[in-house]
Amino acid sequence: MSRAALLLLLWCAIPASLGGGVLAADRPALRVLVLENAPPMSFRDEFGKLTGFSVEVARAVCSEMRVNCAFDVVTQSALIPTISQGKADIAAVGLLETPERRAKMLFAKPYYRSISLWLARPGVVPGQAGVRVAAVVGSVQEAYGRKQGWEMNPVTTHGELAEPLISGQAQAVLVPMISALNLQKTAAFRKLGLATTVINAAELSGEAAFGISPFRPELQKEINAALDRIKRNGTYDRINSRFLPFRVS
Amino acid sequence: MIPAKAIQAGRAFALLAALFLFAFGIAVVLLALDQQRVVDATSRLQDQTVPEIIRFQRLARNLEQLRQEGERIFAVSSQTSRQQSMFVVTLIASHPSILEHPGAARLARETEQFLGDVVRQAGTDDRRPATRYDEWQRIAARLGMQVDDVSVQGINLANTDLNVATTAMRLARYKLMTALVLVGVFLIVFMVLVRRHLIYPLQRINQVLSTLSADRPAPEFAPATMLEIRAVEDSVREHHALLIQNDETRQVLEKLANKDGLTGLMNRRHFMQSAEVELQRAQRYRRPVTVAMADLDLFKKLNDTYGHAAGDAMLRAFADLVRDTLRQSDFVCRYGGEEFAFLFPEIGPAETEKLAERLRARCDAMEVPLPDGRLVKATVSIGLADASECPIEIALKRADEALYEAKRLGRNRVVLSSPAVPEIDGEPDTLTGNLF
Repeated sequence: MSRAALLLLLWCAIPASLGGGVLAADRPALRVLVLENAPPMSFRDEFGKLTGFSVEVARAVCSEMRVNCAFDVVTQSALIPTISQGKADIAAVGLLETPERRAKMLFAKPYYRSISLWLARPGVVPGQAGVRVAAVVGSVQEAYGRKQGWEMNPVTTHGELAEPLISGQAQAVLVPMISALNLQKTAAFRKLGLATTVINAAELSGEAAFGISPFRPELQKEINAALDRIKRNGTYDRINSRFLPFRVS
Repeated sequence: MIPAKAIQAGRAFALLAALFLFAFGIAVVLLALDQQRVVDATSRLQDQTVPEIIRFQRLARNLEQLRQEGERIFAVSSQTSRQQSMFVVTLIASHPSILEHPGAARLARETEQFLGDVVRQAGTDDRRPATRYDEWQRIAARLGMQVDDVSVQGINLANTDLNVATTAMRLARYKLMTALVLVGVFLIVFMVLVRRHLIYPLQRINQVLSTLSADRPAPEFAPATMLEIRAVEDSVREHHALLIQNDETRQVLEKLANKDGLTGLMNRRHFMQSAEVELQRAQRYRRPVTVAMADLDLFKKLNDTYGHAAGDAMLRAFADLVRDTLRQSDFVCRYGGEEFAFLFPEIGPAETEKLAERLRARCDAMEVPLPDGRLVKATVSIGLADASECPIEIALKRADEALYEAKRLGRNRVVLSSPAVPEIDGEPDTLTGNLF
């Protein structure tokens, strides 16, 4: 009886171990770039583990693709050079597709849709003279502000955006909606009593997608199929509910 | 007899099969097309429609979230919480997922403006929100209905694909049934044709062959459609003609084999066979039977004097005389040269003697004309013997002895062999017999 049970266990274990072995041996881990200080998209939880909407979507995609993924933390400014040079395979960051970026890398199917917000004291409007605008280095918001000829106050991570406004260095902040959600969570920021304006510029809103190394074009199809599957099987919506107050796709 | 049109069976059935394959092929192609439509509709359902349905569900979820945030604005007492909810309301109302649905976008914009007013007013007067709650209830009810509409709209997206698939399946079912009916009809037609044009003619041929004989009339066939069948029927007819021809030949040969060429009487071999059978019959039933041997007197001299043609004429004339004089049932053959053998069933030596005597007398009276006009005559000597109790050879030997006796006594007479001496008395017994 016990021998039969043991044999059965062995029988079940063989294919499992074989499959796992093949998976690990055949396919080297994908190098996935994530931001660190950008809650709720990408941050470290209380145990120091990377998590957030983008990180978990990336994890779900890796698991759907049956590949191991190794996460590397970068800053927004270093993100695009790293991926365009092929030093990483996937940028698990919601990137708006702009012509400049398209020239440097590939894009997966979008995984959410974003808008950009102007947060400032009531009466402070975009383009007003003497207004310094805070934005993350390397973001489309920073690029937009510079293009408009605004005086910019760049910061390295999304988590640092509140700083210049609270200290008075900047009078406004131009951010993606999800970063704005996070800013609103801190009491100090709320105290500023900023008004919210949606900036309806084409380059500031739209579909956000993972970036893919231009040296790994074959990944695009696989990642897209995996995204389609997790959007159908409910994984994506569970991640959405876990990190964000409404559906962002 | 021969119909105007005849076709080759192989070609006819090949044509039928080709026709069937063509029709069935078309049905299969049509079915495959329907199947492809079903496959296309289901893959479209999976790849495009289901994601679209999920998109509608997410939109419904966001509208519901909008309603919840609105409720929260009325429920909480802290202005900070209201502002936080208001911020989320702003984000949802501006989000592309809402904006791309006109009805939802309008309602969301209205909700955002209303709640924005409420939050602003609450900033100045904490009791204001309660006064506007009824108004909010109406908006909230509309949001709830919009959620329902969007959900149902999403689900209904599947209908188009499902209808396409259902229609295709229904069509496919009709086509499949048509194809099956087609197969059935072709099979029936095929079987009927095979039966009528192959099996039935073959059965008829078989029946004809089993009873084919020279005694029966030539077989009649209904006109066949198939060339192959017709060829077989022609062969059967030829075969029947051959049978008749063979039978006629056989009869001729048989006659030739049994008759003496010159006189037309039985030959010796045939006589011996027939006489043997008759003798056995007579002895079995103990009926009287007599044999005789006859020889034309001085025939060699006649031949020598008038030539062989005259001898032959004499033999023929004697044969005619025999046929004329004797009974129908008597057996007679040319035994050899000018010698004749007889078997008389059903009469004993005494009556036979009268018959033989009549023959002798008529021969004696007969004059045979030769081609050159001359007349020739011949007499006959006859020896008789009773054959009712001995084998044919013995009886004929006795008759021959009697004939010899007739010759010795001066020819032109009939001599009856003396009563039979028992066979067991051999030569030594003759002495014994003399002793008694």
